[in-house]
Amino acid sequence: MKVVANLNVCQGHARCEDICPEVFSTDAIEGKVVIENPEFPPELEEKVRLAVRNCPEGALRIAKGAKA
Amino acid sequence: MTLHWQPSAPEHVPPELMVDFDFFKIPEGLKDPAQIWHGLVRDGAPPIFYTPHNGGHWVFLKYDDIVEGYRDFEKFSTYQTPIPPIEPFPVVMPQGVDPPEHTVFRMLLAPMFTPLAVRRMTEHLQQRAEKLIAGFADKGECDFIADYASIFPTSTFLELFGLPQERLPEFLALSEVFFRSTDPDARAQNLNDIYAVLEDLFREKERNPGNDIASTIVTARDADGNQHKWIDILNCGFLLFVAGLDTVTNTMTYVWRYLATTPEARAYFRSKLDDPQAFLMAIEELMRINAVSNIYRRVTHDFEYKGIRFKRNDRIILPNTVANRDPSIFSNPQSIDLDRKVNNHVTFGVGPHRCIGSHLAKREIMISMQEWLKHIPDFELAPDQAEASVFGGSVMGFTSLKLRW
Repeated sequence: MKVVANLNVCQGHARCEDICPEVFSTDAIEGKVVIENPEFPPELEEKVRLAVRNCPEGALRIAKGAKA
Repeated sequence: MTLHWQPSAPEHVPPELMVDFDFFKIPEGLKDPAQIWHGLVRDGAPPIFYTPHNGGHWVFLKYDDIVEGYRDFEKFSTYQTPIPPIEPFPVVMPQGVDPPEHTVFRMLLAPMFTPLAVRRMTEHLQQRAEKLIAGFADKGECDFIADYASIFPTSTFLELFGLPQERLPEFLALSEVFFRSTDPDARAQNLNDIYAVLEDLFREKERNPGNDIASTIVTARDADGNQHKWIDILNCGFLLFVAGLDTVTNTMTYVWRYLATTPEARAYFRSKLDDPQAFLMAIEELMRINAVSNIYRRVTHDFEYKGIRFKRNDRIILPNTVANRDPSIFSNPQSIDLDRKVNNHVTFGVGPHRCIGSHLAKREIMISMQEWLKHIPDFELAPDQAEASVFGGSVMGFTSLKLRW
């Protein structure tokens, strides 16, 4: 599974990074989300889903079965 | 409270949307100023209503409308919003302007407030917090606001601006008048004083730039390679002064008041002293429940929203504390769940004006709690605390919080 971010919508709340730093970080210029490896292992699914649901801007979404 | 209050409705406001509500006025005996807002919801006020007090303004009470008020800057502007209207009032830069003008200064400030930048401040924040707390830990009592919550964010401001900590009393005095005085003459003089300080500061940093925010702002260049307009530079300094002091002070006071009265919460946070991630997640819940800011917007043009007519220059208040307890968004919204899994609170706003200092504010609060609980693991309200007064307005809070241990 894969998680993708809409950077036009992201405002740098960094809630995703707080919840699941294994997948999400933030850049040094604007503080927006960086997803270095969008494909995440199944054991992180719960945390990634929580990060998605906790984005106050709705900037994250999980794309099922999609390839990077 | 009288709902559906009749007199002096502007012609575009239907009488059924008029409510008699003054957000500066806290009824005697009310211990938590935020309750005036929750009282509106309990009493069945319309989700969008108009009050003639304080120059007249709308209030949004639903999470979705408050979020819309934040996001749709083409309808709901941050430009010239004070309630009641204060003229002249500085344009706080960039909070007080909308995109695209907003974007220039936002981008200039952003790198200094990213999570990465804030994590680098951790050690200095810890040292200052530790020193302050150690100064009174042996006394067994303190006034949390005078002894800590007003000092800590102000001293952070001095550090960020490359100013010596010796100037703390001067800045505390300036912010005391700015945030608490209701005397128009004192307020006007205070604005002049703040701008005089900012003028000197930026001139000095222009001559001798250092590794601080003031230097970054004053030495920055616009798209044409020129220094930004001097008034914008001053207004940007003013924003950082206005936005990062009183909000943090009062949020901390709410949090410490809660900790003082809730032994389980103290135990919970003590148990997470070695787990910063869990600590921070629990702080999000404290941010949700202790949202001190009521944010202003101004209507940019005549339009209809949700079947209600808004007119150009109408003012609107977005009370974060109400959005954060909207039962259509949050389960058990009134109860504090330090392990809440989904928590889309709007304490720092959403959209393009999302509080740029949110990561710093949370880090200041987290470090303060950690250092406090290490030195003072248990504490309670002092018996005479009941007499302390509360205040409403754009930022709600308390004038003192006496603790003992």
